[in-house]
This record gives sequence, structure tokens and C-alpha cells, in this order.
Amino acid sequence: MEAITITLNGVEVSGHPGMTILELARESGVDIPTLCYDPHLIPIGACRICLVEDERSGRLSASCVTPIEPGMVINTKSPKVMERRKMILKLILASHPDTCLVCDKGNRCELRKIASDMEVGLIELVKIPQLATIEEVNPFIERDLSKCILCAKCIRADHELVVQGAIEYINRGFTSKPATLNDEPLEKSECTFCGTCVAICPTGALMETKRPYSGTTAAIVSTICPFCGCGCNIDLEVKDNQIVRARPGKGSTVNRGTLCVKGSYGFDFTRSAERLTSPLVKVNGDFQVVSWEEALGLVASEFKRIKENYGSGSLALLSSSKCTNEENYLLQRFARSILGTNNIDNGSRLYSAANIIGLGSPVGFPGTTNHLDALEQSDVILVTEVNLTSAAPIVEYAVKRAVKYKGAKLLLIDPLQTGLSSFAHLWLRPKIGTDIAFINGMARVIVTEGLLDEEFVTRKTDNFEALSSELERYTPEYVEQVTGVPSDDMRHAAQLFAGATTASIVYGAGITQHVTGTNCVMALANLAMLTGNIGRRGGIYALQRDCNGQGACDMGTIPNLLPGYQSVEDTESIKKFADCWGTSLSADVGLTAVEMIEHAKDGKVMSMYIMGENPVLSFPNSTLVKEVLESLDFLVVQDMFLTETAKLANVVLPAASFAEKEGTFTNFEGRVQRVRKVVEPLGDSLPDSEIVLRLANSMGCPMPYSSLQQVMDEIRDLVPLYQGIGYGSTETKGERRDELDRDPFRNRRLYKGQFPSGFGRFSPVQYEPPVEIPGDEYNFTLLVGSILHHSGTGSKTSRSPRLSEFSPEAYVEIGPSDAEQIGIGQGDEVKVISPLGEVTTVVRFTTTLPDGVIVMPNSFSSTPVNQLFDIVLDPLSKTPALKACAVKLERI
Amino acid sequence: MDFDELAKVGSMMGSGGMIVMDEDDCMVDVARYFLTFLTEESCGKCIPCREGIRQMLTILNRICEGEGKEGDIVMLEELSEVVQDASLCALGTTAPNPVLSTIRYFKDEYEAHIRESRCPAGVCKALVSYYINPEQCQACQICLRECPVGAIMGGKNIVHVIDQDKCTKCGTCLDVCPIRFAAVEKLSGRPVPAAPPQGTKVRRVKKAQQ
Repeated sequence: MEAITITLNGVEVSGHPGMTILELARESGVDIPTLCYDPHLIPIGACRICLVEDERSGRLSASCVTPIEPGMVINTKSPKVMERRKMILKLILASHPDTCLVCDKGNRCELRKIASDMEVGLIELVKIPQLATIEEVNPFIERDLSKCILCAKCIRADHELVVQGAIEYINRGFTSKPATLNDEPLEKSECTFCGTCVAICPTGALMETKRPYSGTTAAIVSTICPFCGCGCNIDLEVKDNQIVRARPGKGSTVNRGTLCVKGSYGFDFTRSAERLTSPLVKVNGDFQVVSWEEALGLVASEFKRIKENYGSGSLALLSSSKCTNEENYLLQRFARSILGTNNIDNGSRLYSAANIIGLGSPVGFPGTTNHLDALEQSDVILVTEVNLTSAAPIVEYAVKRAVKYKGAKLLLIDPLQTGLSSFAHLWLRPKIGTDIAFINGMARVIVTEGLLDEEFVTRKTDNFEALSSELERYTPEYVEQVTGVPSDDMRHAAQLFAGATTASIVYGAGITQHVTGTNCVMALANLAMLTGNIGRRGGIYALQRDCNGQGACDMGTIPNLLPGYQSVEDTESIKKFADCWGTSLSADVGLTAVEMIEHAKDGKVMSMYIMGENPVLSFPNSTLVKEVLESLDFLVVQDMFLTETAKLANVVLPAASFAEKEGTFTNFEGRVQRVRKVVEPLGDSLPDSEIVLRLANSMGCPMPYSSLQQVMDEIRDLVPLYQGIGYGSTETKGERRDELDRDPFRNRRLYKGQFPSGFGRFSPVQYEPPVEIPGDEYNFTLLVGSILHHSGTGSKTSRSPRLSEFSPEAYVEIGPSDAEQIGIGQGDEVKVISPLGEVTTVVRFTTTLPDGVIVMPNSFSSTPVNQLFDIVLDPLSKTPALKACAVKLERI
Repeated sequence: MDFDELAKVGSMMGSGGMIVMDEDDCMVDVARYFLTFLTEESCGKCIPCREGIRQMLTILNRICEGEGKEGDIVMLEELSEVVQDASLCALGTTAPNPVLSTIRYFKDEYEAHIRESRCPAGVCKALVSYYINPEQCQACQICLRECPVGAIMGGKNIVHVIDQDKCTKCGTCLDVCPIRFAAVEKLSGRPVPAAPPQGTKVRRVKKAQQ
């Protein structure tokens, strides 16, 4: 491609063909004002503010939609241009209310900014007001269309970025406006309240309804969203040590100008009245406020006592997949070097530990193998057993964009209907728990029909023979019988997947939270390797539920792995860490999260330290978990809130929120991103890292760090995955992105087809019938999953005023025909009963469920659905089965 | 007549239709008519077309209402330039043509509206009044009966008078007044003469004089 040279304001500049004048001008540092242009959106040339003059013809054209042509002589500031621009601006202002004084958009208003830049003041035109506000009762978005300038950014963001289709133009000419279907309020439409339109609106037409704090923004700090594992960049606007609002981070390659409802509105939990502000110690069953010294002194002496009396193995630590890399690193160092135990695990054990062996063993890398961009470029995307709408909204947007705008074909394998169903090229609904049979069936079709990428399989992988002989069993007929999916459909799916130049696989908790989770992940890895879709194009996208699920594992808060997945049984690795920490380390594999409970039950674990996790709600068999934690000799919980778990603790240490600390999160792609302090910690609460460091001091074994940067430096030295990562800049405030964010992938991507261990290894896996099959008495299969407005156990989201107002309570989804059989109606209260326990909730009809399947959300503390589950662990990953169980329903 | 010739005089071929108008058509009103049509046609996507035409129509409406101001013509021309230069599609870029060509050829009519509150063609209702010349009125009562709003007072042998406050300027009285009397007059740009005292008798025209 040859560069095109044009003259821009008298200077010759070159750009590539297809570039618009505006793009080239911005690249060359020439400012052209715009209202309807956004780099993330397809330009439409509606506002015409960006007019420029071609001096050869005197013609004016909108620079945002005019491609550069050789020999153009463009003037962006000729008198004619300026005159026209001013008049257009006056025309907009003529139909815009003069309420700037009381408009909360204030100086963020782009219209006002351009007017002031161009010295347009009072206008001589006739004021023609537009019609006004729409009555809405949601706590998120308020529309005042009297301020709408019809730039259509909201509509385009909805269509092109989020691909939701909630709003569109209605009417035409002067009466045209953005509206929902039939011009209903947003809460009655398809809108998910992701807030993308609010962030992109140049005026005050779209605003937050309820703000946690009002005022003109004094500073903007870039940080990372604390909810799901997508790792969206958010810019938090701050005033008076309070967060005013969140908006999508500028220039982010992860979320590209979008967010979800949690990211946009969920941060208000940070100022919840329920936040813990001082350390608490339980005396005679009641909590008493104490000083940090007292609390930490007590923890230190108790830990010393227990360690001396019962040995290091009687101590267990649960770290958090919601805490930063640095905090996880520090806690595992604390556990290993000071307490002398490998009994440390993190919350991601509950949902994504299957990846550690499931991907680690065949691929050599326990996580997503490519970045989000590559997913969007795929020809075929296989999404299996995950409701992306709630689990990973940003990934859902990318998949929808790929399907709608890039011609990708979506292969959806999910018994449940999700937001992606209507985008699917092929939507297959295997019976619950039969995924391995289905995937093996697909693999067999690929092998027997010769659709595999032979060169890749021969050159880059081994153990193919074992796989192909194992696959023999999975004939289309057998698979049809097991999964209930017609064999022709399955064959079609396999052909589609193998036929694609680039194919990607996306999966989530629906795969990993089954007893067979690890095997199922291996089956998916086999599928990717058979078709050559790993290590060079396409890839496997393993989603994470928590903001730092990936990072917590990377940091070695795993009982058998040191930071960077280096085995504790490997003498060399142990020596490396022991040398660095100047102490000897245990080479015994520790306990995983749920095993800690089991051992505590048997009296082998006497004391636990829980950082930012809520096992009472998140573990299976809550009743047992609660009993066991209560019976512990000594329990320390470090959290922002007095959670159900914290209530059982002997000592509660108040932790700072994500917005009150520095550090890094690693998202599901493996992108290490900087978390920045936005406001001061509430009350006496401290960042988790600070608490761990102070505790180490109290134990008499101080850790030699004076800043988090030193922690990151040590991580960089000891963890090969994190080589080349550093804070780069000490700048913590402002909108700058530093080196850390720019080049995070260096060591994490399987570029150029090189598997970390040289070869990808096929791992044949067997299908085993699911254990949670409903019987005569417990005749329904209950599926448990997350919902869009909440995350995890809801300890953060249920304390977010806006999210909890919109989604206050749990429910059970059931098909109307199933409901009829047991005589229950919409809105009825029912008991959901399993052999282990029961919860009460209300009925909500959903027509798309398979017969005999009911669905409940898992994020409500008032409806602790996990107490219905017995403790059944995946034998490989030790992840408890928390996805499906057999239950019965009883009307109250 | 061809494309170029039409373009030269500030018009265009369009669909090939041609409208012939005479001195009874007000050029300001004609421009207003076309802009009303264009406001309905504008899709609303780009600002110059959507807001520009609406703004121009507002100004034209004002002129036709007799509330035109000095500067309105210049403003119309400025707006026309923006709409012409900056609009996205041909609807917008040609929308100002009716305004520009009427200003170009019939500026005096605009000025009459603005400066003298006079509509030379007598079309703009706000600028015209109907008046019954007491000298001519023969009290035939036709207009009195036909007036749809009962704005005409009078009776047998009594000179009819239009109540200007009630009059809707529909022009019925002018239409029905027998030609041989020609008593009803349409006035524009000058005040309505004071009405004769109530009950003034008709002044019969003598046959001899006829």
C-alpha cells in the first residue's frame, strides 16, 4: 500500500489509503472539533462540525467521513470553514436549553467546550426548544432529550459496540430522537444499563440517575474494574475523596469504550455504610473495636501458639481472587516463609481451577491462550456452557460484534438460552453434564472425516494415537443417545468448527464447576489442537469470575504451586524462592480451599486466615462450612464488610476497597493492569497488602519491602510469566497509562505456534455420566449461575445501592409447563429442597428452559443457594461441583 | 431551457415540473411553502439540514406574520449558505434554493413585508385586512350572511362594517361582494380607515349618475 500525501494547513502529511482526513489530522496533531465522531464508532458525518475546506475546489466536506486523496489541499481553519462551523454550532445551541448552570454535565459537556473554544456565546437565532424528559424509574440512566443533539452516538454505541439493540432512531426530521422499541422507558426495554451510552453522550442528554456523590470532578484516575475477570479499564472521577462516577477507560484495548452495569454503577459499594472501618475482636461472642496493634498482636500470638502446639500444617490461608497480584504474592510469601505452610489457596478454586491442569497439562499454560482482539477476528466461535451476558459482558460484546459485523459464525453449545442464542449460527442443547461426550463426538468427526489440521498435529503435538483410539467410542449415534443432540447437528458443528480458518473456544463456569470440569477443559483443548487453533490463531478463552482470578493463581496462592506455576515439589523452584526469601520452605503439597474445611472438620486444621473470601456463601454445604469455621480454634477474616464468614471470626481486619489501594490485576487474557488509588481508605481500613506486611512485622518476621513496586520487582524476578512487567512510572494519578499497560503480553501469549513445553499433548478423556441426575424424589435439575447485576457471593454488589435497588432478591426460573405440573404460578413463594438443605424464593417463569431444569442466581445472601450442594470435588482440580444438583420444589 | 440555464438563474430542473405564478402569489409565502415541505422531508440526520431549515422556516413564518426584523434577510442568506455547504445529502444542499432565488429576484417583497408590514400580493393574512368602503356598500347583506365567523355588522340599508377583531381574513366577503358594488377592499401595508358611525345609512347611487 502506498502512502497518500496531502497538504494539511500548508504542511505536507502522509497517511495510508482509506484513512479519513480527520484521522490524519489528529495523527498530525491538528485539532478538528467533532461532536458525532468517536474512534470506536463508524463515522456517520451527522454533526458537520468537523467541516474542512478543500482549497482546490473550495468545497466543504465533513472530515470524519472523507477519505484522503492524493493532492488534496485541506484547510481546517479557513474563514469559510470557521464561519460555517460557528453557524452549525449556533443552530445546535438554538435548540438546546440554556440550563448549563444547573446541568451536571458541566465542563464535561463537549458542546459547551466547543462553543467556548470557538467563541460562540449568545446566539441571535430563534430558540426552538425540543421536547423533554422521559419518565423512568431505574436507578441508572436518566434521559433528558431536550439536550439531545442527535449525534446518534448512543444508538451507534448500542449497535456497534454493545450490540444490544435497545435503542434506535424513532420518527424523523425534527421529531426524530433515540428511543426504545415503542418508545417505552428503558427498564421495559432490552437495555442492560451498561452505561456505555451515558459515557459517550457529548451533552447532558444521558446522565446517571442517582449519583453516589455530586460535584464537579476534581481528578480522574484510571484503574481496573473490581468485578468480573474481564479487567475493564475504568476512569473514576473523584471529588472530595469521593467517587463521583465511573466511565470506560480511555484508549482501553480491553473494553474499548464499553462497560457493563456493574462497572458503570457498581463502584458505589465502596462508600457503603456497612464498610468496616476498624479492626474487631470477638470477646464473649461480641465484636469489640480495637486498635490495629492490638488486633494484629492477637493474631500474631495466636498463630505462633497454634504453629508451636499443632505444627504449621494446622494453619490454612484462603487468599482472594479479588485482591491484587501484590497482595496475593505477599500472602503466599507470608504463608510459606513465615507460617511455613503450603496450605494456601484462593477463591478461584471454586470456579476456574480446572484450567490449571485442564489447560496446563495439554497446552502447557493454564489460561487463555490469545487476546480478545483475536477472538473478535475468528471465523467460528464456539461458546459453551457460559452465559456471557452475566459472566463476561465484554467478551459477549466481542462475540456479538464478530457475528454481526465481521461475519463470524457462532456455535453455541448450551442447554440454556442466553443472550447469544439469537446470534448463533447453530445452537445445540446437549443434556446437562454431557459436554465431554459431545466434544469428544465432535473431535471424532473431525478425525474420521479427515478435517484435522494434519501438519499442525504432526509437527506441534504428540499423543495423537491415544486420543484417536479413545475417540473411537464416541460415534455420532452414541453421542446422540447420550447428549440428546441429533447426530447430524453434531456433525455439522464439527465440520463448521474444523472448516474455519480461525476458530476460537470460549468457556466458563458451566464447564469448570462440574465434577468432570478438568476433563472437559482437556476435551476442549484437544479440539483446539486438532484443528490447529492454538498458539498461532484462534485460541481458548477461559473466563474468570473474579477480577484477579488469573493473577491470584499466577501469584502462587495455590497449595501445590509457587508463583508462576512452579511446583513446590520441584527442588530447584523451592530453592529459588527459599534463597530469595532467606528461609527454608516446605515441599509438601498443601490443602485446597474445600479440603481446608474437610480437614478442619477432622480437627487437622485449627486456624484459618481468610482474605477477601466468603466461604459460608461460596462453598458448597454452607451449613457444614459454617459449623466448621465456628469450631475453629482461631479464625481471622480480612474483608471490607462483616460478611457471613466474618461474623464467625475471632478477629476481623478491615480492608480497603479496590479504589483505595495500588497494585495490579491480571485479567482473564493474562493482561497485567494497574490498579490505582483513587480515594483514601475508609476509616482505619488498610490495603490488604499493608495488613499482611504489618502482620508479618507483628510476627517478628518483617518482609523487606518499602513499596509495592519492590514487591512487583521481586515478582518480575521470580515469575517468568511476569518478566518485563514493572510499574514503569511512579505517576499514580491522572489519565496516563504507563509501560505496564502497554506491553503486558510479552511472556503470556503462545505466539508463533510455540507451545511453552515444545509440544501440545493430547489428553484423551472419558465421558462419565453426571452424578447430579434427578431421581424420583428430587425431580428437578437445579442450575446455579451468576446474574448480570451481581457478582460472586454478592458481598460487594448487594451493598451497591444502585445494583441492589434494581436487583434486590433471588428467584427461581422455571418453565411454565413444569410449574403447572406442581401447581405453582408466577410470583409464588416456593421452597427449593435438596437432600442437604432448602432455600425459599419466588417463582419466575421462563419459557426457554429444558423440561425438568430450573435456574437460580447464586449471589444473594438471603437465598444461600450453595447450601443445597453437597461437597463433591473434581478429583483433579478439587473444584467443588457447584453448577448443578437435583432438587425438588415445594409450594409454600 | 436546460439544466445549465436553470442553474444559472438559481433554479433547477427537479422533476421537470414548472409552476406559473402571477402577482397574486407572495414570494415570501412561496418560500415558506417550500420550506414547510422540506421540513417534512428532512430525515433529521445532519444538523445543518435539520436545524437550518427549521430555523429558516421560523424566520419566514415571522416575516409572514408581519414580525420580520431588519437583518432577517441577511440571516436567511447566512443560514442558506450553511445548509447549502454543510448538509449531508442533496435534499439539504438544495433546500435553501427557494429562499435564495426569491430573495434574489423578489427582495422588494421581503422588504415590503419587513419594513412596511405589507404583503404586495395580499397573501399573508397577518398583513392584510378587509374593509368595506362605506361609500360603495349597498347593504345587500350577502357578505353579512356569508361571513363564517359573523364578523360583519350591519342590516337593511345600514352600511356593513367588518369587526376587525373577529375577522379571520378568509376573504369570503371580498369574493361574494357583487362586482357592481366592489365595496370590499383588501388592504395591506396601511391602516384600516375608521369605521363610519354605527347605523350609517347606505348612500344610494342615483340612477342618473350611473
